[in-house]
Amino acid sequence: MVKTNGQDILVDILATIKRVPQNKAFVINDNTYTYEDLGAYIASVYHQIAKREDDVIGIIAENNIETYSSLLAVLLCGKTYVILHPSYPESRNLKIATLAGLHTIVSSNRSNTDYLEQHGSHLIFPEFKTDHTIEAVTDETSNDNNAYIIFTSGSTGEPKGVPISRGNLNAFYRAYQQIGWKLDASDRMLQMFELTFDVSVVSTLYPLAIGACIYTVGYDDVKYLKVFELLEQYELTFAAVAPSVIQLISPYLDEINLPSLKYLVVTAEASQTELLDRFRKSIPNAEIYNLYGPTEATIYCTYYPIPLPGKTKQHNGMVAIGKPFDGTEVLIVDEDGKKVPNGTTGEMWVAGPQVMKGYYNDPVKTGQAFAETADGKLYYKTGDLCIMDDDNDIIYCGRKDYQVKIQGFRIELSEIEYTAKQFFDAAPNIVVIPVFSAGICSELHMAVEVPSCDKDALYQNLSQKLPYYMLPKRIHLIDQFPTTASNKIDRKQISQLINQ
Amino acid sequence: MTKQEVLQQIETIFHEVLNRTDFTLTEETTAKDVSGWDSLTNMTLIVRIEEKFDCKFKFREIVKFKNIGDLCDAVLTKKN
Repeated sequence: MVKTNGQDILVDILATIKRVPQNKAFVINDNTYTYEDLGAYIASVYHQIAKREDDVIGIIAENNIETYSSLLAVLLCGKTYVILHPSYPESRNLKIATLAGLHTIVSSNRSNTDYLEQHGSHLIFPEFKTDHTIEAVTDETSNDNNAYIIFTSGSTGEPKGVPISRGNLNAFYRAYQQIGWKLDASDRMLQMFELTFDVSVVSTLYPLAIGACIYTVGYDDVKYLKVFELLEQYELTFAAVAPSVIQLISPYLDEINLPSLKYLVVTAEASQTELLDRFRKSIPNAEIYNLYGPTEATIYCTYYPIPLPGKTKQHNGMVAIGKPFDGTEVLIVDEDGKKVPNGTTGEMWVAGPQVMKGYYNDPVKTGQAFAETADGKLYYKTGDLCIMDDDNDIIYCGRKDYQVKIQGFRIELSEIEYTAKQFFDAAPNIVVIPVFSAGICSELHMAVEVPSCDKDALYQNLSQKLPYYMLPKRIHLIDQFPTTASNKIDRKQISQLINQ
Repeated sequence: MTKQEVLQQIETIFHEVLNRTDFTLTEETTAKDVSGWDSLTNMTLIVRIEEKFDCKFKFREIVKFKNIGDLCDAVLTKKN
């Protein structure tokens, strides 16, 4: 009998595939795949890519078994995966392909890949062959290898590559189990996140490590509807969701009853205490956890079990993020990088085995993102403002800079502004204003300091360069931007102007 | 009211909410066919359709809308 040991997530997944071949591994668009099926798919892709010289492999993320198998095959080969999104603009995917140095790209869909081939990439289309079995797949990866690189929004128009090593991932895996989940091979677990976003990694790999079944949501589904359809139809027992999904169904909470759900994880953006308290009636048997973490510190690095209504720690209605994961060290510091006393707001820094070494091929941004303390320890500066209370719980207070999150995607508003300015011959002032509903950023508006311009053309231009979630819902033209006393553009006042 | 009339009015709402008119709806159209028809806009679309036809959908009904035809049928059932 092959045993899992809770130390290395890929070793455990490989063992599980051999241990429970007849268990269901995936339900994708109502098609069921067993662990044996998954093993055969992985072995087929593994065979196709193992001999490629490239260490970094692109994967076009479709909602199908080929995509998930490709991701696992790349990891088991000891290579690194980079996700390209089929609905992102070609120029964005090409930029990521260039930054990651992609030569080999796996795609389960033959349409819309011409531009990548013209760019010089070698496309591999997974061919499922029954003569390849999982027995032939070995895992000899070192912890230094990168498991994946996730590209996040960067302020100069260049996405930043966050490389997460196998060592980071396994440090995460070990700490994640310490939360004490009572989950096993009989559980049914949700995977609603886009593969370009790192919560998808735990939503995919963790169920496979314990032999549970994963129910996926596709990128072109109407997400919140699909999520609740799956939760109800398949009586899912574990769901990690973005709070915006609950926000969207909030008018219908009376109609929703999910007694099978054992765990609800809210993540990817700040959760509202009031919303969770109201949702609790629909999930009478679930424990709720708020899990927080920047991509740079591998998926999640703090957790907060949400107590009964009325007892939740919060700031401006945003649920606390709780205590650091096992192995993660947290500092709350002032502008000078000095630790602040409990109860005082400061920027949160994190250190430990989950934190990446640095941005991919970008020593400048790496230098800006890290700080060394007097004792020689390297901390990643999260840019999140937090308070440590006297129970050593961390209370989240908001972003330090102009970053916002929409549907879990972290966006630098300045990247959108920068991209929009390229549209003009003489770049005008442009600000992007996030619009919040119930504390969650629901849409972006753009204000341009010009008396007139072709708004449709500007929008078209942006949609060719930016992924859909970064596009402004409305473009407003303002002759002259209001300014603050220190002659800075007054974003607050612009926000009020466009909300009138 | 005929299904075609409902479809036309729903199309107008889609054009307004998605802020563009470069697509037409048929009974077979799904969210996969219309770029911008996602979680956030779906909520707005449903509210606008409820206002227009003066009706209210249950969440269970909304989940079952697999295409525009289902949506039209639901409106007709409520109105007739």
